[in-house]
Amino acid sequence: MDKELKRQLFHMAVGLAALLVLLHFGRGFAIATAFFTIIIGTLLINLRLRGRKIPIVQWFEKEFERAGAPLPGWGSACYATGVLMLLATLSDVNEIAASIFILAIGDGVSTILGRRGRMRIPYNQEKTVEGAAAFFVSSLPALAFAGPMAVPAIALATIAETLPVLEDNLIIPVACMTFFLVF
Amino acid sequence: MTSKVVVDLITGAALSVQNPMITQIALLVNNDLLYAALVFALVLIAEGRNSKRMKVLLSLVIAVGLGILVKTALAEQRPCAGEAWCPTGYSFPSLHATAAFTLMIAFLNKKSYPAFLLFALFIAFTRLNLGVHIFRDIAGALPLAVMAYYITGLAWPLVEKRAGRVLDG
Repeated sequence: MDKELKRQLFHMAVGLAALLVLLHFGRGFAIATAFFTIIIGTLLINLRLRGRKIPIVQWFEKEFERAGAPLPGWGSACYATGVLMLLATLSDVNEIAASIFILAIGDGVSTILGRRGRMRIPYNQEKTVEGAAAFFVSSLPALAFAGPMAVPAIALATIAETLPVLEDNLIIPVACMTFFLVF
Repeated sequence: MTSKVVVDLITGAALSVQNPMITQIALLVNNDLLYAALVFALVLIAEGRNSKRMKVLLSLVIAVGLGILVKTALAEQRPCAGEAWCPTGYSFPSLHATAAFTLMIAFLNKKSYPAFLLFALFIAFTRLNLGVHIFRDIAGALPLAVMAYYITGLAWPLVEKRAGRVLDG
């Protein structure tokens, strides 16, 4: 199994775990878990940046970190930040669950399938039309949480994911959050 | 276990701490101007390079700006609303915590990071201890800080170039 595939499977598994924590223990518990995960995570990033050897963190870096990441654990930190943003800002558990599902599954599947795509998106040569289509289709089960309102949210998240401006793990939650706050 | 109980547990635990010294510090920090001066002083003390100082200050401005935007958009009442001593303005997110977390993130690669982490957690604690915020307001401040520092990082090469041109005349 190549590293990117492993990375995306891990991405999806963590997202589904966050979803389970939200649905089983409630929003408050999920907020506290995400908050303290980020606090501990930044402390570990700081230790790694200062050259400390932490075997489990190094194993994660080796197995799951993308080459050229600005910081060790950068992708994970952004992911946890995106999840915390959704949990803290949205008040409807179904809207939060739909957004976490879109972030976890849509983004993961689009990366796995998008790599095999051939039609490049004109304004972002790193993304493909096939990846965007995979994002949209694989996110559709979010309808189970938010109902028909999930469709325009997924459409907006799909467009946001193709933009070359921000990290996916941040821009997808921002898109979902903005949609559910406005509508 | 419901969501409210856990959030209330953290907020309630902070509220239950009765220490006159902490209350005095919390009241001092509650003064916006004094707190801004403290944050500014910490940036000057902890960072020697003017360029990095400017970057941290820019990220603080962006973070607080984003915080004000979210506060205004969501317009959530403070837990102390209705009390004479309660600060005006909305509750979510805590701008004090936003600034403290931004400072913390800005020094992520530094030896001083644990000190900034403790500072941020202490500021967050004082907001809960005073009863002017709930834990969700504090938690909501952390993503804003990360976003603000990330946006600053993206914009910084351009800002630095322009600032350099201005300084060079």
